[in-house]
Amino acid sequence: MKIIVAIKQVPERDARIRIDSVGKWIDLADVEFAMNESDAYALEEALQLKEAHGGEVIVLSAGPERVGKTIREALAKGADRAIHIASESEDELAQYDALGVAQLLARAIEDEIVPEPDFLILTGLQSDDLGLGQTGVIVAELLGLPHASLILKVEPTGSGTVRVLRELEDGWFQYLELHTPAVLTIQSGNSKLRYATLMGIKKAKTKPVKVISIADLMSEDLGKSPAWRPAAPVVVLEQVKLPTKQRTTQMLSGTPAEAAAKLVEKLQFEVRAL
Amino acid sequence: MPFVPAAPTALGIFLAGPIAPADPGRFSLLDKLLLAAMIVTSAALFWKRFGVVLDKILKSRKDPGFRLLPLGKRIWDFLWEVLCQAKVIRERPLPGLAHAFVFWSFLAFALVTLNHIATGFGLAVLSGNGPIDGLVSGGFSGFYFVLAALFAIACSISIAGLFVRRFLVRPKWLAREGHQLSWESGVIAGLIFALMATYLGSFYVADAGLAARLLWWVHTLCLLVFLPLVPHTKHLHLILSPATIFLSRGGFSQIPALAGDEDFGLVTGKDLTQLVSLQAYSCVECGRCTEHCPAANTGKLLNPKEIVLGIRGYLNEFGPTAEELLLGKHNSQEAAFQCTTCGACEFQCPVGIEHLPIIVGLRRGATNTGAWEDDHGGKLFNVLERNSNALGMSALERDKFVQKQELPIFDGTQEYCLWLGCMGGYDPKGREIIASFVEVMRYLGASYGVLRKEKCTGDPARRLGNDLVFQQLAEANLEAMRSQKVKKIVSICPHCVRTIQEDWKEFGAPPEIEHHSEFLARHQSRLPHTNTGEKIVYHDPCYLGRYRNVYDEPRAVIAAAGELVEAPRNRERSFCCGAGGGLAFLGEESGERVSHVRAQELVATGATTIGAACPFCNTMFRDALAATGDNAPRLLDIAQIAAAQLPGKAEKPPMQPPN
Repeated sequence: MKIIVAIKQVPERDARIRIDSVGKWIDLADVEFAMNESDAYALEEALQLKEAHGGEVIVLSAGPERVGKTIREALAKGADRAIHIASESEDELAQYDALGVAQLLARAIEDEIVPEPDFLILTGLQSDDLGLGQTGVIVAELLGLPHASLILKVEPTGSGTVRVLRELEDGWFQYLELHTPAVLTIQSGNSKLRYATLMGIKKAKTKPVKVISIADLMSEDLGKSPAWRPAAPVVVLEQVKLPTKQRTTQMLSGTPAEAAAKLVEKLQFEVRAL
Repeated sequence: MPFVPAAPTALGIFLAGPIAPADPGRFSLLDKLLLAAMIVTSAALFWKRFGVVLDKILKSRKDPGFRLLPLGKRIWDFLWEVLCQAKVIRERPLPGLAHAFVFWSFLAFALVTLNHIATGFGLAVLSGNGPIDGLVSGGFSGFYFVLAALFAIACSISIAGLFVRRFLVRPKWLAREGHQLSWESGVIAGLIFALMATYLGSFYVADAGLAARLLWWVHTLCLLVFLPLVPHTKHLHLILSPATIFLSRGGFSQIPALAGDEDFGLVTGKDLTQLVSLQAYSCVECGRCTEHCPAANTGKLLNPKEIVLGIRGYLNEFGPTAEELLLGKHNSQEAAFQCTTCGACEFQCPVGIEHLPIIVGLRRGATNTGAWEDDHGGKLFNVLERNSNALGMSALERDKFVQKQELPIFDGTQEYCLWLGCMGGYDPKGREIIASFVEVMRYLGASYGVLRKEKCTGDPARRLGNDLVFQQLAEANLEAMRSQKVKKIVSICPHCVRTIQEDWKEFGAPPEIEHHSEFLARHQSRLPHTNTGEKIVYHDPCYLGRYRNVYDEPRAVIAAAGELVEAPRNRERSFCCGAGGGLAFLGEESGERVSHVRAQELVATGATTIGAACPFCNTMFRDALAATGDNAPRLLDIAQIAAAQLPGKAEKPPMQPPN
C-alpha cells in the first residue's frame, strides 16, 4: 500500500498558554509543540496497514522549521519519507483558512497520487488547536477522492474498496465501504500508539524529507499547473480568549437513591463524563 | 622417618628438622616419560576446552568506556572479595567458611603441588626427608609441609561438608530447573578430598616404599584429572572469577553509555562485551542471586542466575559474533522485563557478576529497537514524551500543588533546590511527604525553592531500556538546572536521587544531590524529638540502601521518634517493594505480588508503624496494606515521622497530612 499521512504540529496539550499581545492567537514563545493527537492515531493506523500489507508511509506536514521535530518523530516511528511544506514564519500559514491549507497540502502531493486501489490518504479527525475538522475532507474534495471521517478501523478488502468503522454519536457505529483511493480522517483512541525508539530516531536521520516552500508551491515551475495562489480566507479569526474558569457546586436533594439518579443524569448529559 | 604424626607441634618442626610427606623415591626414565605424557595430555584436554572459552571472551566486543585505572579499588576488591572471601562468608557463613577453607587450601597447596610434580622429575622445591635436597631449606620446608597439612585437614572437612550440602541437603538455590545436579561437582569434590587424603596419608608411610609411591601417583592422577574438568563446569570460576572481580565496572549497577550509532544495548551476540562474556563464564551457579531475587521468590519467570547462564548458553551455542537475538532461545523477554532492578543479585554475587548492566542491557536491546511491545510500557513512554511525567498528568496539576503549598520558586538565591519528582508533584501520598518535609525545612529555616518546571528524571525509561526518552528527559533537566544555577538538590525519592546523580552523568554534570533522609539526619540535633516508644519498622528502599549505601540516616530519624524494629531482611539484604525498574507502571504482575510479600513481612514484626523512605515503596505498601485488613500498621514516610514531632503537632495524630 502507499499511504500518505497528513500530520499537524500543535501546542502540547495541557501546556500553560497565554494570549499574545495582538489577541489573535496564543503566545508561542514559551510553548512546546507535539504531534496532533488524532494525527498520531492516523500515523499508527498507517503503520499497522503497512505492517500487514507492505508498502510505504509518507508523512505530509506544513509549518515552520519547528515542524521538523514532529516529522522526525513520525519517521522514527516507522514512516518511510516525508514532505515538509515549509513556511517562512509562524504567520505565513496562519493567513489561510482550512481551504487554503488544504489546497497547499493537495498541491504538495500532486506527484504522489497514484490511481491505484491500494493508495490511501489518512489524517486526524481534527486538530487539537483549531478543531475545525475540515482539512482532510477538503483535501479529498480537491483531489476528487471519496472520503469518510471519524474512522476507528480500516480494513482493505482487496477488491478496490476499503471497509471502515465510523463512530457516530451516542454510542452508535457504522460500517462503510469506500472505493479506493480514498481519504480517511481517523478518530483518536482506536489503537495503542507505539513509542519512538532510539533505533527509529537513528534510522530517521537517513530517511528523505522533501522540503518545499509555500512560495515554490505557488510558482509555475512546480509540476504542470500554472502559477497559482491558495484561496483567500473566508473565515477570519477575530479574537481568541482563554475560557473563564467555572466552578459551581450543586447540592442534590432527595433520598440517596434519588440523589444518585440525579447525579448519574447530570454526569451523563451535563458533564458528559459517563 | 616413618610414622610421624601428621600435625606435630610447630616447635617440634624447628627442633627435629623437616617433617615431610614420604619421599616417593627415585623415578626411572620411564616413570618420568609417563608423568610427562600424562601432564601433556591433561594440559591439552584442559586447553581444548578452556581455549574455546577464552576465545569467546576475547572475541566479544570491547567494553566501550572501560578503564583499568584507578587500580586502588580493584586491588581492594581483589584482596577483600577474592583473598579474604568476604562476600562468600558474609552471605552464607557456614558454607561460606567451608568454601573459604577449600580456597585457602588451594592457595597453600600451590607450592606443595609444584613441589610434588617437580619431585617426579627429581627436582624438589621443598626439602623432604629423602635423598633429594630441595631448593628451599629444611626448616621452612618442614614448617610449610605442616602448615599445608593443617589446611588439608580443614579442606577435607570442608569439602566433605559441602558435598553433603550439595548432594544430600540440596538447598533449592543450587538446583536448576530442567537440569540435573552436575555429576562433575561430585567428582571434583571427591578429587579434592582424595588430593587432601593422599597428601595427609603420605605423612604416615615410609620413604620410597610402595605405599609412598602409590600415594604419590594417586595424588598426581587426581591433579591431572581435575584440570580438564575445570573449564566446562562451574569450577571455571576458579580461573575466571578472580579476574571478574578485579575487572568490575567499578560501581554498583553501572549501566554503560551506548557507543556510536549502532549500539542499542544487548540485541545480538555482537553486542556482548568482554566483561559480559567473562561474567557469564564466571557464574558458579551458587544461586545467591536467585535466593534474594524478589521476582524469583514470588513465582515469576525471572531468575537472575538463569539470565547469566542464558548468556553463557548463547555464547556456547552461537558465539560472540552471532546475529541471533539474545532474547530468544536462551533468555526470554518476559523474564528480562520482570526485574525490579532492586540489585539484590548483583550485591550478593560472590564472583563479581554485574547482573543489572546485563538485564538492563537486554531491555535496552528490546526497547531501543522496538521489539518490546507492552501496552503499559508503550503508554508509559508516550506519556513521558508527551507529559514529561510518569503519571501522565498535566503539568498544570503540579503548578496547582506548588501554589497551594506556597512553595517558593527556585531563583538561584536559595541554598536547596527541592526536587518534587513525579510522585512528589502529582501523587497524593507523595505530596503529603513533600508537605511534611517542607514543614521540617521551614522549621529549620532552610532556604529552598522548587523549579518552575520539572520533567521526570527518566528513571523508569532508563531501567526499561528506553534510551531515547531517558536522554531527552536527562538533557532537558540538565539544561534547566544549568540555566537556573542549581547547586544542591534535595529529593524525597531515592530513584530520582540515583538517576540524577549517576545516570545523568552520561549527558552532563548533575548538581550535588541528597536524599531527604540524609538532610534530616544531618539536622537531627536541631529538631525537637518526642520519643513515644512505639514500634516502628524501617523498610530499606533498594535505591537508597544498595544503590546509595544509606542505611543509618533514616534509622536515626526513626530511632528519635520511637523504637526502631528491624524486619528479618534488612539493610543490604532488604527485600524490594516491587516498584523499581519501571515495574510500578507495568500493570499486574504474575504470581504473588512482591509488595504483598514484603508488606506481610513488615507487619509480622509487630510494629505499629511502617517507616518508609521512598514514595514508590510507600505507594506499593499502601495498596498492599489495604489488603491486610483493619489492623494494618500505619504507613509513614520518615519526613512525616519527623514533621509529627514539630511543635504544635504533638496533639495531632502524626498521620494527619498537612493541608
